Formats: sequence, C-alpha cells, structure tokens
Amino acid sequence: MLPFALSASSSTDILDVANMPILWVLALGVFAVIIVQTFLYVRAAKRVAPTVGMTSGELNTAFRTGAVASLGPSLAVALVAVALLAVFGTPATLTRIGLIGSVQFETGAAAIAAGTMDAELGGPTYTQEVFAVAFLAMSLGGAMWILSTLILTPVLKRGDAKVKRVNPAVITVIPGAALLGAFFALGFAELPKSGYHVIAFVSAALASAIFLALSKALKMPWIREWSLGFAILIGIGVTYVSVSAGLFPAA
Amino acid sequence: MSINDSTTASASSLQTFDDTTARWGRLTMIAGLIISLCGPVYLVFFSGLGVDRALIPVAFLAVAGTFGVLWFVEPVTYFPILGQASMYQAFMIGNISNKLLPAALMGQTTVGAKPGTRRGELAAIMAIGGAVVVHLLSLLIFVGIFGTWLLNIIPSDLIEVLQTFILPTVLGAVLVQAIVSQKQPRTTVIALVIASAVVFVLIPALPQLTFFATVIVVFGTVAAAWFFRSRTAENTQHEDVT
Repeated sequence: MLPFALSASSSTDILDVANMPILWVLALGVFAVIIVQTFLYVRAAKRVAPTVGMTSGELNTAFRTGAVASLGPSLAVALVAVALLAVFGTPATLTRIGLIGSVQFETGAAAIAAGTMDAELGGPTYTQEVFAVAFLAMSLGGAMWILSTLILTPVLKRGDAKVKRVNPAVITVIPGAALLGAFFALGFAELPKSGYHVIAFVSAALASAIFLALSKALKMPWIREWSLGFAILIGIGVTYVSVSAGLFPAA
Repeated sequence: MSINDSTTASASSLQTFDDTTARWGRLTMIAGLIISLCGPVYLVFFSGLGVDRALIPVAFLAVAGTFGVLWFVEPVTYFPILGQASMYQAFMIGNISNKLLPAALMGQTTVGAKPGTRRGELAAIMAIGGAVVVHLLSLLIFVGIFGTWLLNIIPSDLIEVLQTFILPTVLGAVLVQAIVSQKQPRTTVIALVIASAVVFVLIPALPQLTFFATVIVVFGTVAAAWFFRSRTAENTQHEDVT
C-alpha cells in the first residue's frame, strides 16, 4: 500500500513521511467535514431567519462581511503556514495550523513535544520519529479542545437558558461585556511583549478608527466592511517598516 | 391565525434550528476530531516507523501541562459571545480570537444585530460561514497548491514579522471595532479598567495565572457590567451613561 519503502525512523528526511498520500487524503477529509458543517449551518440559518425577522439580504450581508473581515487574517495565517511547510509537511500543516487549531498552539505544542525527546523542530535532532510523536501530541492537544467543547457546550447552554428565564436583561448586558472584556484582555496581553507589539497594536487600532470615522463621514458603509482588512494591512506595514528600521534594540 | 399560534410556530421553528445546529454541529465536530487523529495515529502505530510508544504519554503530558488549562477555560470564555451553534463552528476551525470572533463581530455590526440575541446568533453563523469559505480557499490555494513555491520566493523577514506581529495587529484593529459596534461606553470603561488591572498588575505579580488572564477579565467585566448596569435602560438595547 505504501508507494515507497520507509526508511528507519532515525532518518531526518521528515518530508518523506510528512507528505505521505494518506495524510493528504485525511487533510482533505477534514476540509470536507468543515464544508459540510458550513453548508448545514447556513441552510439552517436561512430556514429560521424569517422567524427572527431577518431577511435573506441581511443573511447574505453578514456572510459577505465575515468573508471580507477574514481576508487579512486568512492571508496572514496562510503565509505563516507556508513558513511551517518545511517543518511539518503540507498535510499536517493544513490540518493542524489551518483547520483545527492555531499557529501559536500547534508550533508551541510541537516544540514542547520535541523537547521531551531532547530534540528541536528542524535540524539534526528532528528525526521522523520525533516528527511522528510531535504530530500526535499536537493532534491530541487539539482534540482536547474539541472534546471539552463537546462536553461543556450543552452544560453552558442549559445554564444560559436558566439565567435568561430568571432575568431577560442579561441578554443586553452579558454578551457585550464578555466580548469587550475578551478583546481588551487579548489585546492588552500583547503590549508588554515588545515595543514593536505596541506599534503593531496602536497603528492598527488608529487605522481602524480612521476608517470607521471615514465610513461615517462619507456615508459609505462599504468602507466599514473593509476597515478591518485595511487596518490590518496598515498595521503590519507600519510594523514591518519599524522592524526594518530597527526602532528598538534587540527585536 | 391567533397570536398564540404564531408564537407557538416561531418557538417550534427556533427549537428545530437549535436541535439541527446542535446535532449536526456535534456530529461534524466528532467527525473532524476522528479524521484529524487518524493521520498521526497511522504514522505512529501503523506506518512501520517503529516509534517508541512510551514517548507519547510523556509528550502529551508536557503539552497538557502548558496548554491544558485553555482546553476548559476557552470554551467557557467564548460561549457567552458565540452561543451554542457557533461554538461547534469556532472550536472545530480554531483561529478563534484572530479570525472567527472578529468576523462574527463585523457580521453582527453590519446588520445591526447584538451578540446574545437570535439575530446576533444568525449573523454570527453566516459571518463565520463566510470566514470559513475564505479560510479554506486561502489555505487550499496558498498552502496546498502554491505553498512550496511561495516558500522560496517570500522574503523570510516578512514571514517572521507576520508570524510575530499578526496577533497584536488584528487585536488592535478589532478592539476599536468592538468598542464602536457595542455602543456601551460604561461597559467599555469597565472592561478597560479590569483588563489593565489584570494584564499590567495581576499577571506580572502572579505569572502562573497567565493562561487565566482572559477568563478573569471576561467574567470580571461581565460581573461588574451587570452590577453597574443602567437599570432604567433594562428593556432597551442601548445603555446610556446618564
């Protein structure tokens, strides 16, 4: 069944195992599952929309806005994933970084797993065996998020419904507060990391504010839809220039 | 049709929607879970690499020691924002804080829907759906098809800048969008104060709480916003600062 003979697991030819056809098939399988889920969800949303007073035009607008908003982050994730191809091969990179997980967790988990075998990602200690164990460790780590979501979501849903029955005002307060709290916490946590992180954060925030103000002043709603993407582009550009200029000692 | 009938009908179609998204959300998530594990399991156990199996629990425990807290904290943190249906979307696809949450927020803002309401739930599902399509296409094209070629032509310092600074950039841009779209000045100030206190005072003093920072801020903000809520505006969507 294997198209080539596998060398000993101490070989450092990672891509020889990492690009095996069966791994490609499984990566495309995950793609397919996500497409099926998206299709079923969109269909369910369209069916129930009239009940909550939403037009199909509004649904399409939300779909398009989500797509536009994710252009910047998607491109960034794709480029970072490209950089990891040499370490994980294409199928594992697609599955782990792209589909079920994030760059920060997966690379962290793989590095930690390799560390338990006194190895480093890439380089002479990074054997096929190390790759296989690191790949399994990061996949199991990702699986734990899914497992806990499967277990916790119904529990949280029951609690949520109970609270909303007791006091309907929670709907107007709690989700907005959770959203603001989450973005303040996630954003501020980036600031102490370096001066460049501050530049990235502040320049993107300013650009975002300027585009929102422009959209309002010129009465052009499309600017608002694209504002996130433009702001990310400007933020990265400004950061790239200031890193190249060596604004802070020791990046 | 009497008012009672139409209320019953809408309640039952909402129930159908909840049941459909919960059932298919869970089933597709379980399928994703199994398929994503098949690859590494095959490599380790059946590919003839002769991997030392004793290495696996050690590696897994090391990963769990670092990230294990997030497995439980993140679903609890994001549930109030995402709601049941989108939980199964978001946690299967990952990239929640840098991509799906911003997409959901933008989608809700554009159609004027609040998170936590039914309109907000549908807007989030559609927006995340749009984000998923862009996400899959970008991966398929830039990584799957042109990846190896791109690896050779993109300057490595650009990739390094992207890898290191994409998160602060996205979060800076999104925070402004969140503040503007929520139109809740009181809650914004509360979130600002609590996040500053936790990130700049509490975490440097107790670094072992790092992974709890977001959940502490989220629940702190929720509790404080609830406590200080404008009671005269209890039944309206907006909050005044009167």
